[in-house]
Amino acid sequence: MNSYFVKRLISMLITLWLIITLTFFLMHAIPGSPFTSDKNTNEAVQNNLKSFYHLDEPLYVQYGAYLKSLLTLDLGPSIKQSSFTVNDLIGRGIPVSFELGFWTLLVAVVSGILLGVAAALRHNGIIDYLAMTFAVLGISVPSFVMATLLIQQFAVNWPILPVATWASPKHMILPILALATGPMAIIARLTRSSMIEVLAQDYIRTARAKGLSPVKIVFKHALRNALMPVVTLLGALAASILTGTFVIEKIFAIPGMGKYFVESINQRDYPVIMGTTVFYSVVLIIMLYLVDLAYGIIDPRIKLGKKEG
Amino acid sequence: MKKVLTLLMAALLIFSLAACTAKDNAGTESNGLSDEKKGDKEKVLNLNNGTEPTSFDPAQGFDAVSWNPLNNLMEGLTRLDDTHEPKAATAEKWDVSEDGKVYTFHIRKDAKWSNGDDVKAQDFVYSWLRLMDPKTASPAAFLANFIEGAESYNAGKGKAEDVKIKAVDDKTFEVTLISPQAYFLSVISNPCFFPINEKVAAENPKWFAEAASFVGNGPFALKSWEHDSNFVMEKNKNYWDNKTVKLDKVHWDIISDTNTEYQMFETNKLDSSSVPPDNAEQLHKEGKVKSSGQAGTYFFRFNVTKEPFTNKDIRKAFAMAVNQQDIVDFVTKNKEKPAYGFVAYGFKDADGNDFRKTSGDLLKTNIEEAKKLLAKGMKDEGYSKLPEVTLHYSTSDTHKAIAEALQDMYKKNLDVDVKLANMESAVFTEEQTALKFQLSRSSFLADYSDPINFLENFTTGLAMNRTGWSNKEYDKLIKDAKNEADEKKRFDLMYKAEKLLMEEAPIFPLYFYNNSYLQSDKVEGIVRHPVGYMELKWADKK
Repeated sequence: MNSYFVKRLISMLITLWLIITLTFFLMHAIPGSPFTSDKNTNEAVQNNLKSFYHLDEPLYVQYGAYLKSLLTLDLGPSIKQSSFTVNDLIGRGIPVSFELGFWTLLVAVVSGILLGVAAALRHNGIIDYLAMTFAVLGISVPSFVMATLLIQQFAVNWPILPVATWASPKHMILPILALATGPMAIIARLTRSSMIEVLAQDYIRTARAKGLSPVKIVFKHALRNALMPVVTLLGALAASILTGTFVIEKIFAIPGMGKYFVESINQRDYPVIMGTTVFYSVVLIIMLYLVDLAYGIIDPRIKLGKKEG
Repeated sequence: MKKVLTLLMAALLIFSLAACTAKDNAGTESNGLSDEKKGDKEKVLNLNNGTEPTSFDPAQGFDAVSWNPLNNLMEGLTRLDDTHEPKAATAEKWDVSEDGKVYTFHIRKDAKWSNGDDVKAQDFVYSWLRLMDPKTASPAAFLANFIEGAESYNAGKGKAEDVKIKAVDDKTFEVTLISPQAYFLSVISNPCFFPINEKVAAENPKWFAEAASFVGNGPFALKSWEHDSNFVMEKNKNYWDNKTVKLDKVHWDIISDTNTEYQMFETNKLDSSSVPPDNAEQLHKEGKVKSSGQAGTYFFRFNVTKEPFTNKDIRKAFAMAVNQQDIVDFVTKNKEKPAYGFVAYGFKDADGNDFRKTSGDLLKTNIEEAKKLLAKGMKDEGYSKLPEVTLHYSTSDTHKAIAEALQDMYKKNLDVDVKLANMESAVFTEEQTALKFQLSRSSFLADYSDPINFLENFTTGLAMNRTGWSNKEYDKLIKDAKNEADEKKRFDLMYKAEKLLMEEAPIFPLYFYNNSYLQSDKVEGIVRHPVGYMELKWADKK
């Protein structure tokens, strides 16, 4: 286990370094600079800005400096929000995005699995059809449409919930629902199909023959195996949801991280582009590692780091 | 296995409870505040700032999202009034030397900072030198180039000591300009010329980043600031004219989605909102949209170094074949004024007449004339077929709709097939500056209140020129206008310059921007300037 962990850590660091290097040079290859604007600025102003942010230095020098500051976990200053560093921006955005993402995941996973199980147990029955219709709708309707519908229904037509902003638990209900629908639908479909497969296997028949209660069969014996594909999906899903989503945070005016991923690129805010990419990569790499660990827990036949399964 | 699961569930539960309680506290805190004050009938104006202010550092936040709020938190020597004229503010009066170059400002005895300190002439010297300092790297530094020594200091060629501004004593501030500029008093109402409390800045260089450390001298003080979420201003008791200020508080949300903003307005959470594009037509019909002028022009640039627009007649043909009225009536549908000249409405000349009206329609839609000019231009150039023309625009729904309308007009009116191409905004600007396009969209929003701000853009070699056009006569007219002390003569020079610009047609205008918004009937007295930032000093809420 320990040697596996060390190997895994080294490969994670190499992956991270590759991502950083690629992003850094690709980002500088896009035409335009943080100071490109339709506004009337003169050359002196442009030069002062470039030298202030060291953008007048050769690219390899900037790259070296960036790696060096990254070692001290310093992500540099934001160019557009000049009073703050990238660490500040992530520090204030991520708790909000994480809170929204956590609840969304909880809602999506719990309701998705329940829906999937219910559909599988009543395979080709009315519940199955209803659940799968719901799932197809959930996958096809984009979250921003869902968000707009929810706001119109529950905040304007029938005003029981606030339209937007992030002030109290009440404010969290609509964004969580809007964001959870898609993942929930995907999880429901995955759970259903693998559950149907598992329920047809011999050991389930044996369990039934032994006279175990249906609840015990489903939740103790079947679900555990049926969850493998869901867990695989969960790693990437958690990384993307926990680090903030642009559209939902924009529609509900939630002060999370999501906007920095998109706006930093439009604004060519180089340190923020790098900071968000590095941050997201780290979260993703850790999530994928956790998924691998979870495999071993769910299915003890999978031994990490061993050649034989 | 079971243990692991149980542990995991327990951790989840604890985390969720913690998250809940944290939010509950936050909720009751803010509720408690508003409940407490309900009895006093506090006047709170609820506005939306769109996005997080980029900076409340007067030298840094060179955009409306920073300067609309900052304009109410701080105050310069002058402030624009409801007629958009500069009036005495932190300075109670000023003297101008005979040659119009030296301004001596007398700062009010009762001008105080929100922390109680006196506003001193030295605070202005400190702030203005900091603005020009190349090390500050202020994007707004060029606005100070009227001041003697400022331009070379900012370019790294001169020294701070050679900039001609000084504190004669604590309450007297003297500025020397490179040439007499009547609009100087209006320029210095701009937030980049606000003073900075030197003592506060010395103790905390990031004093402007948080509400707790922010020290201003304006009608309102910054009470709280939850970044990316909202900020609250309250009446500044130390403001010299606090009797005029009627609002107790201004609550600014930060909502970037215009539909959400509109729904917040509809549910009375906001007192004013921008107009969501999807509902614009309907809201205009219902007469709910209010609108004020904005000094800015939507226009197209020809590249005079690329065929076929090397030919003046062909340029003018392409300009006159466009029906501006149709564009504003059927494409933008936002009641903008069609533009037949480059300088926007709202600038009064020496006789008190509006520049735009006096200068008249210089490049008006005339399809017959356009056809003739195109034929003449093609003959002069020896074209049997017009070289292929591509119109470039930066990616946006509005720009696309306008470009398609233009394409249609060129086909119908000139029988010319124009290709369209779009690009991401920063790439577009870069390519436009490098003169890679033939015909491309552009916009200009004035930085200060004088026609010269519009006209100087097309002098030779300026970053904003982006047409390859260079005209010695035009350059001279602009230079002379900048050095002319006599207002009447100065305006005559500018009238001539605009006429020449439209005659040579390196650009053609489409329409003048306006500022359209929705506003609750309970609100009055918010002043929106054509050039300048929102004023809440006189605002009231019933």
